[in-house]
Amino acid sequence: MTGLVTALKAELYVARRSNAARLLVLMPALVVMLRAIIVRLSETGQQARDALIGQGGPVTADNAWGHLVDSFSVGLTMLGLMLVAYTAWSFASERDSGALRHLLIRSASRGGVVLAKLAAAHLLALCALLVMTLGIVAVTTLLWDFGPVVEDGYELIGSAEIRSEVALGLKLALLPIPAALAFSMLVAVCSQSATQAVTGALGLTLALDIFKSLLGDAAYYLYATFQPSLLDQSYLQDVSRLVRGYSDVMIDNRALALNLWIPWPQMLLFVVLALLIVRKRKL
Amino acid sequence: MTHNSATEQSPLVVKGLVKRYGKVEILRQLDLEVMPGAVHGLVGLNGSGKTTTLECLLGLQPYHAGEIRVLGQSPQHLHRQHGDIVGIFDSPSLHPQLTVRQSLEHAQLLSAGASGRQPRTPADVEAMLGIGRYSHYRIRQLSLGNRRRASIAQGLIGNPRMVILDEPFNGLDAGGVDDVLALISQLNRDDGTTFLLSSHQLPYLERICSHISILHQGRIAISDHVERLFNASQLRLLVHCSDAARAGALVQGMAGVTVEASEAGMLTLQLEGVSPALINRHLIEQGIEVEELVRERNSLDALFRQITSAVPVSLQEAS
Repeated sequence: MTGLVTALKAELYVARRSNAARLLVLMPALVVMLRAIIVRLSETGQQARDALIGQGGPVTADNAWGHLVDSFSVGLTMLGLMLVAYTAWSFASERDSGALRHLLIRSASRGGVVLAKLAAAHLLALCALLVMTLGIVAVTTLLWDFGPVVEDGYELIGSAEIRSEVALGLKLALLPIPAALAFSMLVAVCSQSATQAVTGALGLTLALDIFKSLLGDAAYYLYATFQPSLLDQSYLQDVSRLVRGYSDVMIDNRALALNLWIPWPQMLLFVVLALLIVRKRKL
Repeated sequence: MTHNSATEQSPLVVKGLVKRYGKVEILRQLDLEVMPGAVHGLVGLNGSGKTTTLECLLGLQPYHAGEIRVLGQSPQHLHRQHGDIVGIFDSPSLHPQLTVRQSLEHAQLLSAGASGRQPRTPADVEAMLGIGRYSHYRIRQLSLGNRRRASIAQGLIGNPRMVILDEPFNGLDAGGVDDVLALISQLNRDDGTTFLLSSHQLPYLERICSHISILHQGRIAISDHVERLFNASQLRLLVHCSDAARAGALVQGMAGVTVEASEAGMLTLQLEGVSPALINRHLIEQGIEVEELVRERNSLDALFRQITSAVPVSLQEAS
């Protein structure tokens, strides 16, 4: 345990001085903030055009909740992919350079090194999420107004309900991330080089994204189904429509229940496989 | 300086180490022992398995059979020594984006909790390796030689009891090699640090090693203290004289004398327990004019060539 803590401290020492880690923490936040500004500019232009021709905009156009959820959806998609690449790179590049050897000889077992790297990736993910959340809340507050969805004086959905749905959507979207990181670590442990690790982890993650739509109901037994992604099927997509007052959102309670527990055994499986395989590898 | 029971034993013991890559057996029942406080050189031809041996010792790759104990630990558990044993590798294995000082601070974190030996500070090891002025340079900005020095510095920061170096002189200029040789000697003498060095730079090893092992055909062909290897009772004597053929015939019958070659004016003898002075007196008494006697010191290079030029075991077995 002492070795694991030492290895984690050493990992964080390097991460704090690494441009890759800085990019991971800041880039998703900057991109979603920029996206929100562009959306607002585009909306303003559209509203001006609508006003000129005497048309009214949609009831939710100025409500911040929908934009907040969209920003999280985009940000988490980007962060998820970046985390997968970073986790694979952090292990494989240090194995290539030999820097991993010092960790192994002086402070942690092979398993300890893998766990320390996973823990460091999770801490970086938390930092990135925190920065992204602050950025999204700040930019949506500045550009739009938070409030209930009201149409013709009738409240379609109240603020408290929206907050609760957003919180649930975020929770469900974040749950698969540990499994995605563990999968990436497994690919890195199996790979022969950093290039192979990063391309393998990203490629397989994207492949899972593509194939999940072909799996039918079986896709609900795959952690990737619940992760915001380029071909998004996560609950956050439903939340985005729900907080805009759409009444056609079909909540599948079975899918929500699977979302809550399916990622955990898969994460455990990936970690155990990585720990077993790393024992046999040349480092 | 405090020692636990592991240091009183040999810090490194290898018995019957077998390592295969696919069907090729690289290490075949390799035995090796490094004595406490030794500077032990491991030499071998390119591809003989030196790096593989060191990587097995340090737990960096699995092996197929045999037993390895390093400071009383198996290679998989070296981390339990918290930096009492370190490896310094052929390529400087440092984070390229860190500065020299940051690399040393990072190494300090890794060595935290080592045994009673007083750890060194980053400034100490920078001064020892002469890289103080590069302290704030990133590793990737350094020349190969200075990266090598930084790599050695980060290995030594925890004041380890045992240091394993793979090709430590690669990339160093002549001055750098002298500095590293002097540093190894100083740490060995003053702190009792045990070193295991693999290199094909035989003259450098000869200058500092107390023990030498020659790795050939997957086994340690010879391993001993340098005194016993090079100053044994056997020596080669070159005799410049007026009549080499007659001189050869005269000494041929003497006990402990073997005539290796007899050419015009030059007689080459192998002596065992016989002093050159006795040969000189005998030849003069027999009327041979001895112009010069050259006592040829056994060198690591000569020993290495003698061992590695032997017919491979596999060919002998095939014939």
